[in-house]
Amino acid sequence: MPRIIACYKWVVDEAYIRTDSSPELDLEYADKKMSDYDRNAIEAAMQLHEKYGGSVAAITVGHPDDTKGVKDALSRGPEKAYFINDPSFENLEPAQTAAILADVVTAKTEYDLIICGEGSSDLYAQQVGPRLAELLDIPCVTMVSKIELAGEQLIAERKVDDGIETVSLSLPALLTVLPDINSPRIPGLRDTLAASKKPVIEIVKDELSGDFTPCLQVLASFKANMERNGQKLSDEAADIALLLDTLQSKGIIARGVK
Amino acid sequence: MDFKLSEEQELIRENIRELVKKYLDPIAVEIDESSRYPAEVIEQLAAGGWMGMPYPVEYGGAGLDYVSYAMVIEEISRSCAATGFTVSCHTSLASGPIFNFGNEEQKQKYLVPLAKGQHIGAFAVTEPGAGTDVGAATTTATLDGDSYVLNGIKTFTSNGPVADTFVVFAFTDKSLGGKGLSAFIISKDNPGLKVGQHFYKMGIRASQTSEIILKDCRVPREDLLGKEGQGLQIAMSSFDHGRIGIAAQAVGITQAALDESISYSKQRVQFGKPISKNQAIQWMIADMATDIAAARFLYSYAAFLKDQKQPFTKEAAMAKVFAAEMSTRHTSKAVQIHGGYGYIKGQKVERLMRDAKITEIYEGTSEAQRMVIAGNLLR
Repeated sequence: MPRIIACYKWVVDEAYIRTDSSPELDLEYADKKMSDYDRNAIEAAMQLHEKYGGSVAAITVGHPDDTKGVKDALSRGPEKAYFINDPSFENLEPAQTAAILADVVTAKTEYDLIICGEGSSDLYAQQVGPRLAELLDIPCVTMVSKIELAGEQLIAERKVDDGIETVSLSLPALLTVLPDINSPRIPGLRDTLAASKKPVIEIVKDELSGDFTPCLQVLASFKANMERNGQKLSDEAADIALLLDTLQSKGIIARGVK
Repeated sequence: MDFKLSEEQELIRENIRELVKKYLDPIAVEIDESSRYPAEVIEQLAAGGWMGMPYPVEYGGAGLDYVSYAMVIEEISRSCAATGFTVSCHTSLASGPIFNFGNEEQKQKYLVPLAKGQHIGAFAVTEPGAGTDVGAATTTATLDGDSYVLNGIKTFTSNGPVADTFVVFAFTDKSLGGKGLSAFIISKDNPGLKVGQHFYKMGIRASQTSEIILKDCRVPREDLLGKEGQGLQIAMSSFDHGRIGIAAQAVGITQAALDESISYSKQRVQFGKPISKNQAIQWMIADMATDIAAARFLYSYAAFLKDQKQPFTKEAAMAKVFAAEMSTRHTSKAVQIHGGYGYIKGQKVERLMRDAKITEIYEGTSEAQRMVIAGNLLR
């Protein structure tokens, strides 16, 4: 009967970022959404819950305006949410996010398993999960594509460069999951309407035990410019060799492919 | 006054968008071409609680407000107007009168499976000689012992071929004119009810439409909906609700036309520049967006009045006639923007132009809407 905590981040929806001739990103019309892999994290938690019972809570650190994100998370199944918020918690450094989460998880929750997305849709630093596990002093498994529970043991499959690695560990533990792990369900109408009635535990900055004044300041966001060579190559042998040489010299493919 | 969607409404809109993108977008062309009923999508909608949106949870619904319900119909129609209408017809025309006029037994027996999407509903009022003029219907219902015996032919019955439950209108006393019309709930299993000719339509082709033939169709007395003679009131009330859905459907169709027009005009290059740089195209797009916004406000206002339990007959008619007419106008413009490519099968705007036309015709023609609006103003 695992008590599971699923972490999520409420991020800018890249679909709404406008680009024009200015070098800066226009975020004026940008709506926010749940970070993609965090949907997989919540879905993984719900699937474990449906199979093994127990409970699922969602947790996030963000701006006080991000209440829609709390409803979104709850509409995906968790029975309650921890909403740690402060106007300054908008552009946190991943180490701080992990420290804030660790502070609240330790003080306010009981858990057997924490599930995070492998990385966030905006920064994809892949930092919060492992750092949180370290601060809580529990084992951490990253790149998880399959989870099973066998009593107190958790068996996870990791998708690594040269294959699938199966690991077993004892609870409590933290996992970061890949999108391959599941296909998150689309919340039904009743799920969304029920979400507003679920308990939300709000935690403001003053209730935290450390000083979490943000150490990161975003001055501007610039568009990434993709330089294109516009080089045309045919299917002649010489051109194919040139293509491979070019890709290898730029380090896009490994040497020795030829 | 508040024009902003709530967080809950925004999430509902995002979820229905995701659902139709995943399940409906990939098949929309195919179900239009083959006139196929998308049973697999309706199953998904039923599973998510989208088939009984505005009805209370105790009757199998979701307890959603009408503004949000109409917004969902717009979003489904933006992908596939036929499916948007299948849901709208099922919800407002078929389930609506049972919720609004049915007794508790009827609601438990018929509304609950409809609202859960386990059953599909149809609404059979139109006859070959009775369209806008509902009173010209000739289907009769004669009381015989504990049941009514219905005889007649209904035509253009939306959802007819796929429905489990029909709301059917027949005269219990033709001599009383409109006051002699009554409504009945009939199951598809009734041996006296047969699905007749299927119609293959110009647009909304995935929506199933047929004749319904009633031959000595015995309907138990307890399946009379409302009271004897209340039929016309039930039909008109159902249309009032339905028109909000049709207005939303028309807005969805036109929004899709705008989406397609913006994307195409930005990439189509003629005379060395995208055609979106031409003022002639820009004006078409600006007019389209403006009318869409106006029509959306109109249907939302009619739905808002309904949620406030205020009269909304006039406003629903206004929303419907305005949305329908701007939809046929602008979907034609969208084809124009696409030029020859817009005239080719498989291009979304070609389907949208065909789909739009019906919104000026069903659930009361544009002319009938003006009669309703003027009738309200000149009383």
